[in-house]
Amino acid sequence: MHILAFIAIIAGISIIVIGSKDVSTYSSFSEALKTEESVKITGTLDKDKDLSYNPEIDPNLFSFYMKDGDGISKKVLLSRPKPQDFERAESIVVTGKMKGEEFIASEILMKCPSKYKDEEIRIRAEI
Amino acid sequence: MEDNVQYIGETLWPGQLGHFFILLSFVAIAFTAYAAYKQSKTIDVSNTSWRSLSRIGFALHGLSVFGIIGILFYIMLGKHYEYGYAFDHVSDDLPWRYIFSAFWEGQEGSFLLWMFWHVILGAVIIKTAKHWESPVLLFLALFQMVIASMLLGLHIEIGDFAYKLGSNPTLLLRDVFDAPLFNKADYVASLKGNGLNPLLQNYWMTIHPPTLFLGFASVTIPFSYAAAGFFTRQYTEWLKPALKWSLFSSGILGIGILMGGAWAYEALTFGGYWAWDPVENMSLVPWIMMVAGVHTNLIARSTGRAVKSTYIYYGLSFVLIIYSTYLTRSGILGDSSVHSFTEMGLEFQLIFMVVAAALLTTFVYLRHSKNVAVPEKEEAIVSREFWMFVGALILFFSAVIITMSTSLPVLNAVINIFNPDFVGTVIKDPIPHYNKFQIWIAVLITVLTAKTIYLRYKDKTLSNKKQKSLTVKFLIFGLIAALITYLTSLWIDYFHWKYALLAYACYFTIVSNFALIIRDFRANASMVGSVLSHAGFAIMIIGTIASGLNEKTITSNPFAMRDLMPDESLADAINILAEKPFFVNDYWITWEGDSTESFTKTFKLKFEKENADGEREDPFYVYPNLLYSNDLTKVAAFNPDTKHYIDRDIFVHIAGLPAAQLDVNNAKEIEDSLVYNTYIVNVGDTIKLKGITGIVENITFDPTQEDYIATGSDIGMGVGITFKSFDDKYQETEEVVIGLKENMLYQYPVMVNDLRLKVKMDERSFDNFFTQENLLDYKEYKLKTGDTFEFNNRTYTLEGFNSEINNDNYKREEDDLALKGMISYNSAKGKQVLEPLYIIRNNRPFSIKDYEAEGGTHIRLSKIDPTNEEFVIQIARDVRENPEIILKIAEDVPRTDIIVIEATIFPGINLFWLGSIMMMLGFFVSLWRRYKSKYA
Repeated sequence: MHILAFIAIIAGISIIVIGSKDVSTYSSFSEALKTEESVKITGTLDKDKDLSYNPEIDPNLFSFYMKDGDGISKKVLLSRPKPQDFERAESIVVTGKMKGEEFIASEILMKCPSKYKDEEIRIRAEI
Repeated sequence: MEDNVQYIGETLWPGQLGHFFILLSFVAIAFTAYAAYKQSKTIDVSNTSWRSLSRIGFALHGLSVFGIIGILFYIMLGKHYEYGYAFDHVSDDLPWRYIFSAFWEGQEGSFLLWMFWHVILGAVIIKTAKHWESPVLLFLALFQMVIASMLLGLHIEIGDFAYKLGSNPTLLLRDVFDAPLFNKADYVASLKGNGLNPLLQNYWMTIHPPTLFLGFASVTIPFSYAAAGFFTRQYTEWLKPALKWSLFSSGILGIGILMGGAWAYEALTFGGYWAWDPVENMSLVPWIMMVAGVHTNLIARSTGRAVKSTYIYYGLSFVLIIYSTYLTRSGILGDSSVHSFTEMGLEFQLIFMVVAAALLTTFVYLRHSKNVAVPEKEEAIVSREFWMFVGALILFFSAVIITMSTSLPVLNAVINIFNPDFVGTVIKDPIPHYNKFQIWIAVLITVLTAKTIYLRYKDKTLSNKKQKSLTVKFLIFGLIAALITYLTSLWIDYFHWKYALLAYACYFTIVSNFALIIRDFRANASMVGSVLSHAGFAIMIIGTIASGLNEKTITSNPFAMRDLMPDESLADAINILAEKPFFVNDYWITWEGDSTESFTKTFKLKFEKENADGEREDPFYVYPNLLYSNDLTKVAAFNPDTKHYIDRDIFVHIAGLPAAQLDVNNAKEIEDSLVYNTYIVNVGDTIKLKGITGIVENITFDPTQEDYIATGSDIGMGVGITFKSFDDKYQETEEVVIGLKENMLYQYPVMVNDLRLKVKMDERSFDNFFTQENLLDYKEYKLKTGDTFEFNNRTYTLEGFNSEINNDNYKREEDDLALKGMISYNSAKGKQVLEPLYIIRNNRPFSIKDYEAEGGTHIRLSKIDPTNEEFVIQIARDVRENPEIILKIAEDVPRTDIIVIEATIFPGINLFWLGSIMMMLGFFVSLWRRYKSKYA
């Protein structure tokens, strides 16, 4: 029994040590410029600039501008078709690296507005 | 100000009754808990007065829960949009079959579903639990009370402090929102429901939540037994009934989780059944704890050890279910999960629920655990219980690791309270992170089960003979497993030795488990459930290795050399054009067509494999579709389709469309940005465009273009144009149409996708071929039946009359006198008949003309002279002196006949489903055996 407990503690500690290496903080574009590592950045869609997806030219290239937490706006390239309802995203999390002035995203996650807010807008719009 | 408005059209009684039921359900369950507590504390077993009261309380509670559910269904089915719940979840066009989905789409509805199952399970407890009834009901009722509080909807205000306790689903919309709309007394009439999210409009949404919530609810029972056992100082007696419930719970919750995976795989475009998403993780973790509890419960039943561990595992499973509810419903996972959940503003109440459950579980444990008898001698290393205990511990670790990683957002939030500048951490790459640990857990689990099923409870030592026979057995199993691992490596890749080892461990346990019952079924019949579950688990893992590691994208474009990404394999989608076969990775893919029915547009895609000789074989069709939003203005969701084979699935979904196809606003924007040039042409003219010529072939007056559907007296005109590229690659004849429908002119443009042209006919063209009535120059002829007359080089004959009238322009009224003239002429198409009408209504004559577009002939029957049997015919012809056609042509128009698709092969995915089903079946087989046998 005591041996089991001992093994369990050792295993627990090593899991935390190994696992904590997979964790990073949310980054920003300016920090991403300084590193070769893949980073995660949260931000919002920069609606002043165009987003583009033209399946005729390249079905796997979607680009848009994102403003990060510092308010810096950069072009983000995603090697995938444009996600559904992208324009409605309230916040965006991208994973990837900077290449020159562009951020090359390998993964994207969007947070869509909660239904309730949407309804409020719709009620107002109906009047 | 709203208080002054007298509203029209509201039905108020469901809200009032609903509020009553909500309060009653809370009070009744609180009373049940109290009565059950009193009964549990009653030492005299023959005194059951509190028990009767607790039953009455529970019955009242059950009735009120059914009442609330009934009222919600009433307002939803009756489309009473003045109620927020109906407004949010149903709409006029929502099909009946989704009414259940709409019910539990909302947070309140899903809480009610959970409560519903608690009521049912509680009733089963009352019916079957005998002397356990009251103490078990006590804990069940305590928890049910906390859920019931989620619906209270009480506003508590103490000075500046305002708090909303629960969210009442039977509130009126105007009590939830404040909008100017509510200044109108008849606002109800202008409300339209939001309807059910199209993504949720499928049968999975009908079956997954009730199963999962039954799973959730069932987790409460083993814990309630454990707590009841400790609370009533019957420290081991609870183990027997609890085990049945935990087997049931493991099976049902497992099926619920699997259904979620099946849903994600079958109906969503996630492209898999499991992605270590936080929401998925948090439903898995309580299940793992429950399974660990099943194992220690078995140990405890057979040896008297591990009683406290069993309590802990059941307790953790229970607390984790609530914790998972908090995580998924509080919105805290926002940035890390693809599942989006609405926020109800009940974060604090949810936190209270978790903390209360954790405290209750801990309190009962600490108060009583010292009284649990522990056998003095440690279990021997050759005993079954030792290794089962280790197995349970490994499961516990697995769950802890997953919970810790998933809880990172909670940790961030907690740190943020103390340090507002803290930016928060996140797992960089979740899937490898989780796999890294769980792969070793799976290896340990499978190896342990292979071995442990051959050991016996309470064995202290193994005889030499048994030791020897076991060694030989495991040697043989090991060799067979090695052989299977090698053979399957010919079919699937393992990529890394770790996965090969995992596969080996799985085969080892499959062989070992089946060997046990095949060699001597009779002796080991009691082990069937266990064998099914353990072998099923191993088969499931093999299925995961096969389908997850070896999934192959058919549509990855090998020619995509954009040098953009270090990892080009991410380019997983290709674009295909209508009716043009596309070859990629040995497959020919053809988009043969599509069809639209109500909100769904279904694409017909043909796949053919090209063999080594260049022949196409194995054709099959898949039908992925897309759903339009409820107002049909944009695409709301894409649904995949899967071709199932025994050894693999081919999964296909639409990954993208041109912007114009996604949203009518985009379409309008693109149309507005097109530059149309005007071309004034006659038949026979040639239009010169960039690299393209167009020859105007003909004018027709019965257009055949598919967008144009003529009804009644519609007049249409089409111009046939043959477009040709200079390199002769493309030549296509298209018909551009304008049509007059009920005095409105409509354009029916054509899109020539291959040449990227869009062609419209200007409305002014219409006037060159059709003359307005007041500008027509009618000629009159007085005729008798059989007479002929000449007009404009055509001979017309008055054939006769008929009073049977079938004409779209004429609606018969009573006392009408109506007559139809039949005037014939010969044309290239044979004998034609024109049928003008003559009507006397209220003593006044009318004439309704007939029109023939080819020659532009208007004909009227304007007078009837019955005495002389003479008829006056008026005839006129459209002025077509200037047969010019005004065309508008835009060049370089974006194609519209394009879809982006992604097709993936999942080899061996059926092993995943087979293994999962076996595993769950194992729980029910064990449960059934315990019901049947005296041993239990």
